[in-house]
Amino acid sequence: MRPPRALFVPFELGRPFGPPNKPDLQQRVLFDVLKLLERNDGPLIEDFVSSPADHNVSEEENEGWTCPVNLAKPRNDLTDIQNLALDLKQEIVLLHPWYQESIASSGGRRLDGLTSHSPEEIVDILVSFVEDPQIESFLSDQPISRALKLTADDLKHFYFQSAMARPTNISDGQLENWFYGETLAGKLLIKIRAICLDHESKTLQLIGRTNFVPNAMLKHV
Amino acid sequence: MVYLSDMPETQRDMIVNQDLPNYQNTPCVEGPPLSKRKISIITTAGLHRREDKVFTPGIGEYRIIPNDANMNDLIMSHVSTNFDRTGFQQDLNVMFPIDRLNELKADGKIGEVAGYHYAFMGATPPMAHEAVAKDLAQLLKADGVDGAVLAGV
Repeated sequence: MRPPRALFVPFELGRPFGPPNKPDLQQRVLFDVLKLLERNDGPLIEDFVSSPADHNVSEEENEGWTCPVNLAKPRNDLTDIQNLALDLKQEIVLLHPWYQESIASSGGRRLDGLTSHSPEEIVDILVSFVEDPQIESFLSDQPISRALKLTADDLKHFYFQSAMARPTNISDGQLENWFYGETLAGKLLIKIRAICLDHESKTLQLIGRTNFVPNAMLKHV
Repeated sequence: MVYLSDMPETQRDMIVNQDLPNYQNTPCVEGPPLSKRKISIITTAGLHRREDKVFTPGIGEYRIIPNDANMNDLIMSHVSTNFDRTGFQQDLNVMFPIDRLNELKADGKIGEVAGYHYAFMGATPPMAHEAVAKDLAQLLKADGVDGAVLAGV
């Protein structure tokens, strides 16, 4: 097997072609990497040459991001299970108009849908796991470990899409800090992580370590 | 940033300790100029159409993304929590540059856009992908694809 050509890019993990809504920059990255196909002196890894203008942000983007909804400060005590579900659904009710607005403003694109469950149903499902960590999987075609991850991601996508309804210069860190630090849904995922870490199932221990809370957000745990 | 020095230790160790091929001075494969090539995008972002089966961790598998698919319908079932998704949530092209590829075709900078693109989930160990990756390479050759963008996240 012959070697691939590689272009090293100075962007955040998850954005290999550059920031969102910067088509000129994205096209330059793509063209630069494709141009390497015309070189045969491999193996090779080249640096993408960015200019200061690539890092400029517009006045609108520079306003920064704030969540369109003020949520109540989440509590850390999640032992009152029934009220936990009710409070989570209250968050969802507040975010829902912004979720709809976000879909409308992005041409109908929506990011949840890994499962067929609504955010409210997912709350009931995840809270039922908190209540009884021995429950069987709630998705017919997935083991409990994957079912937890897919429902958790669907819930997180709902929150993120709602929070991004107003276009601004959003960094991953801002949204992640908001989600894990300021929402009850984030606290729920932190709780599920803790339950998985203590679970007798090795698979759940593994996904507890890796699937619910990013390394950079462990400060909220 | 993607510098190793900026990564949390666990992520850095996982990447540094990957068992990867050593190419030494092996030259790359020769081919026609870019303006004559047919290009496909192969992403490791765990992308797929909403109706497709979600990815299964640890299994070597891929999903097909036809070039005429509704790209607004692509969702992500990648297991990792450790890469940015807010960029993807605002603009698919940050990790799957399909609009940019079509623009390069319109400008005559590439020959053709392939009829199919493909998605893997990068969290699965590379060797688990080997068999399906070899099969896919044969499919790409049969379709006349002579350039692939391996777009990792």
